[in-house]
Amino acid sequence: MMFLSRQFAALILALTSVATIAQTPAFDITATVTDQQGKPLADAVVVAVPLDGNLRLPVKPRDDTVDQVDKQFVPKVMAIAVGTSVFFPNNDNVRHQVYSFSPAKRFELPLYAGVPAQPILFDKPGIVVLGCNIHDWMVGYIYVSESPYFAKTGANGKAKLADLPPRAYAVRVWHPQSETPEEATRRSVEASSARVVDVEWALKLKPEVRVRRAPSSDRGARY
Amino acid sequence: MASVAADAEWLFDADAGAIFDSNLTGAASGPDVRSDWAAAVGASAGQFFALSGNDGLTLAVNVRGAAYDRYQGLNLAAIGASARYRHKFGLGRDAPAASVVVNSLYADYRSSVRSGARFDVRAELEKRFTETVDVVAGVAYDRRYGPHGEAVVPGISGEVFSLAGRSAYVKVDYTIDDAWLISVNGAVRRGDVESTSQRGSAVFLASDAIAKDPAFNDPNLFAYRLPGTTWTLGATSSFAFDDRASLNIQYAHAFTDSPQNLKYRSNVVGLVYVHRY
Repeated sequence: MMFLSRQFAALILALTSVATIAQTPAFDITATVTDQQGKPLADAVVVAVPLDGNLRLPVKPRDDTVDQVDKQFVPKVMAIAVGTSVFFPNNDNVRHQVYSFSPAKRFELPLYAGVPAQPILFDKPGIVVLGCNIHDWMVGYIYVSESPYFAKTGANGKAKLADLPPRAYAVRVWHPQSETPEEATRRSVEASSARVVDVEWALKLKPEVRVRRAPSSDRGARY
Repeated sequence: MASVAADAEWLFDADAGAIFDSNLTGAASGPDVRSDWAAAVGASAGQFFALSGNDGLTLAVNVRGAAYDRYQGLNLAAIGASARYRHKFGLGRDAPAASVVVNSLYADYRSSVRSGARFDVRAELEKRFTETVDVVAGVAYDRRYGPHGEAVVPGISGEVFSLAGRSAYVKVDYTIDDAWLISVNGAVRRGDVESTSQRGSAVFLASDAIAKDPAFNDPNLFAYRLPGTTWTLGATSSFAFDDRASLNIQYAHAFTDSPQNLKYRSNVVGLVYVHRY
């Protein structure tokens, strides 16, 4: 009798917990990222990692694309989930040679036009810096996220991580010019009765230094 | 998504600016020094061929013109061609590269003694050492043909502007940010130099070609060809408006040392706008 009572009590407790979780809806995180002058910062990647470690990554993420247009990578910054394959179509009328030395993914696409037959699989989280061996000024970034919950800020400096399961998260932000290491931007966010949780960062940026694309007067001044 | 890709990449550049040269005559003596301003324009059309992921060839034709304020004899129109082959030793922005460059030009001066063809051949090495510092070092051979000089001294050639020389140079680029680039360069050239001055025993003894030089509106001035070593130190500040255009402020100081204790200096300042289409 006592054993049946304990089992019954456990069943009631479990049912109550499920009901409680079911009553806490999914929520959104709205991130606002600015620079040190308070100006909205585009191309910042915001990532929310569940603190319980339950990532629930999609079995096969959808393929994505980094284009090459007017001798630039488009988009310049892209965020993908780990396990995503990325195509690198060349929509210029010149050939490119795309490469990366980043530990998260080292690869090289030898001089090519059009679309390579096979995409590149990004199977490790981290930052992948892209370059072109012909056009040294070309730089692109792929942020490979270990969490399926990420978004990139737009021109207004805002990003929305929508419909997050109700649990606690560590939220971070990364930007190619940020002087602050990504881990140092970490904040804790918990699901609450509020449908939307706002998080803000003001990042200190270092100047962007690229290989010069603009021509300069290399010749001497004498004719 | 397929794209039609060509092997060649077109390059169209144009530039316009103003140049001031403090010693156009290249004179060692104060009274013979002449300075002047010039408006200068140029344009080039070329193609870049990516031969492989590490090799590129650039071919271009170019035209140049300059108009001086006081000494219109120096006004010129020129047409030329250039070729650059570049090999990159590896992958990435920091990989070193080597280039061979050939430039050729025919310049027609209002003062015809200066008119003629010229060319130079260069071999360069370049390396990006940090995110902001890029170094180019090279050697060059230059040759200029000046067949229009008339001899004024029996037994001495009048082809004053037929010159040859060899140079070594280095240039350091420092990228401050996306807009600003500062360059510092140094060169030493050994070979023939031209100096215009009044008659004098020192320059006469040092020279191996002499001709009248009417470009400076002074019948007492003669052009002399003599051996010399020229050291040049220069700097350029370049501001990029965007990926296609820049405004450049240039300065160069040159010091030439010739036999018979003939030495002369010049300062050249320029403001040049460059645009790539």
